[in-house]
Amino acid sequence: MGTLGRAIYTVGKWIRGSGQALDRVGSLLQGSHRFEEHLSRHRTLMNVFDKSPLVDKDVFVAPSASVLGDVQIGKGSSIWYGCVLRGDVNNISVGSGTNIQDNSLVHVAKTNLGGKVSPTTIGDNVTVGHSAVIHGCTVEDDAFVGMGATLLDGVVVETHAMVAAGSIVKENTRIPSREVWGGNPAKFMRKLTDEEIAYISKSAENYINLAHIHAAENSKSFDEIEVERALRKKYARKDEDYDSMLGIVRETPAELILPDNVLPEKTTTRVPTTHY
Amino acid sequence: MATSISRSSRRGVASTLIRRCFAAEAALAARTEPPKPKLTVSPSPDRVKWDYRGQRQIIPLGQWLPKVAVDAYVAPNVVLAGQVTVWDGSSVWNGAVLRGDLNKITLGFCSNVQERCVVHAAWSSPTGLPFIFEFTGLPAETLIDRYVTVGAYSLLRSCTIEPECIIGQHSILMEGSLVETRSILEAGSVVPPGRRIPSGELWGGNPARFIRTLTNEETLEIPKLAVAINHLSGDYFSEFLPYSTVYLEVEKFKKSLGITV
Repeated sequence: MGTLGRAIYTVGKWIRGSGQALDRVGSLLQGSHRFEEHLSRHRTLMNVFDKSPLVDKDVFVAPSASVLGDVQIGKGSSIWYGCVLRGDVNNISVGSGTNIQDNSLVHVAKTNLGGKVSPTTIGDNVTVGHSAVIHGCTVEDDAFVGMGATLLDGVVVETHAMVAAGSIVKENTRIPSREVWGGNPAKFMRKLTDEEIAYISKSAENYINLAHIHAAENSKSFDEIEVERALRKKYARKDEDYDSMLGIVRETPAELILPDNVLPEKTTTRVPTTHY
Repeated sequence: MATSISRSSRRGVASTLIRRCFAAEAALAARTEPPKPKLTVSPSPDRVKWDYRGQRQIIPLGQWLPKVAVDAYVAPNVVLAGQVTVWDGSSVWNGAVLRGDLNKITLGFCSNVQERCVVHAAWSSPTGLPFIFEFTGLPAETLIDRYVTVGAYSLLRSCTIEPECIIGQHSILMEGSLVETRSILEAGSVVPPGRRIPSGELWGGNPARFIRTLTNEETLEIPKLAVAINHLSGDYFSEFLPYSTVYLEVEKFKKSLGITV
């Protein structure tokens, strides 16, 4: 059996070697149009000369996000996929428990038409929705910036205020506490009810829990990913209904269980069909 | 491994060790100090600033694994996380983020999600509107049915898009909205939560308002657009090899640094 094993091993090695040679032949054929892959040079946290980001150890910064320059992020916050926090000309400070959702942009101004320049400050427990653009603003604690909103220079969003989705808030607007502003240009829409204010704080909290899961998943090493992939394949074939008919109770492997606190309490009777 | 190569070659091993030592000391000091009223940030010296792997495209969360059909084109800088299913012939273009961590996201046959879109699904709608879902019977998942074109920079959140629609660029669809079959949303439209866009009509604006009904010719063009983008995505799909050949660059690195291959 030793010789057979060795023979098979050698044949496998020949096939791999010829595969690599074929790859070289194919690249030659493609000539100048061939594409050579490179390692990813995307830098998640990047210094701009002497300004370096200061990010707390509890923060989830998605690998595809870019935190550049003079940025400070407090504990429990999360910077989601594709965000750009560019603190190159001025300072950006993000509080704790804040979440800056996917594809958002936070930038600061060095000069603007008014001449007055302030660094961008985002307070604690703020929710900044997807694809928001925040440029030289101050967002105070427990505020909610809706998705797709554009906040121009000098805007101040006070505590417990809400900027509606898709709104464009003109320069130096002050959005008072407990109000919803929206539209283009952003105008007062209505006052926030207490339920909605509670919802804002709860959503920020949910995001902190969600961020932990994503952070754990994104920081896995190659070996862990492969192990889980094998586990998932194995577990996928075992259907719970079938097993329960046979009287078998199977345990989900530990790596595949999400912590309970991710999904918020279900208040409606209708249950969406999810595996969990 | 490549990270360590670059780190050591760029600054020299000694200075990195010194910097790490100081960072660790600073972190320790920050932890033992009494909390200041201002922002206290205690960075971790282990935080990776640059990962040679880049961002993973498919991010499984627990048991949920995003499923991509074999002929669907998903650009390399797209992030699919959680319960996402990309069905046959569909395409997800550059920079899009499909985050199915709270609920399901489905991208139907021959649909496309264009550049930089964000598709998310809420677990339920905000308080004050939970009954919308019971009323309309719409689940909180995001369902994009077949032959739908979702224009660039759109934000979709817990919406249902029925077959053969066009969502204009930079549009925002909020929780519980329903875009009925064969309708077109103009660019830049914002659909408020729970809004229904009726079948065969053109809506637009912020908030989305009725503009006009679509002629028969225009409704026939809608699936043609989706199919055209499907053809285009075929070109992009054929650019990519089934497995990456980055190891060739790594070996070049090692050779140039004098490390034995």
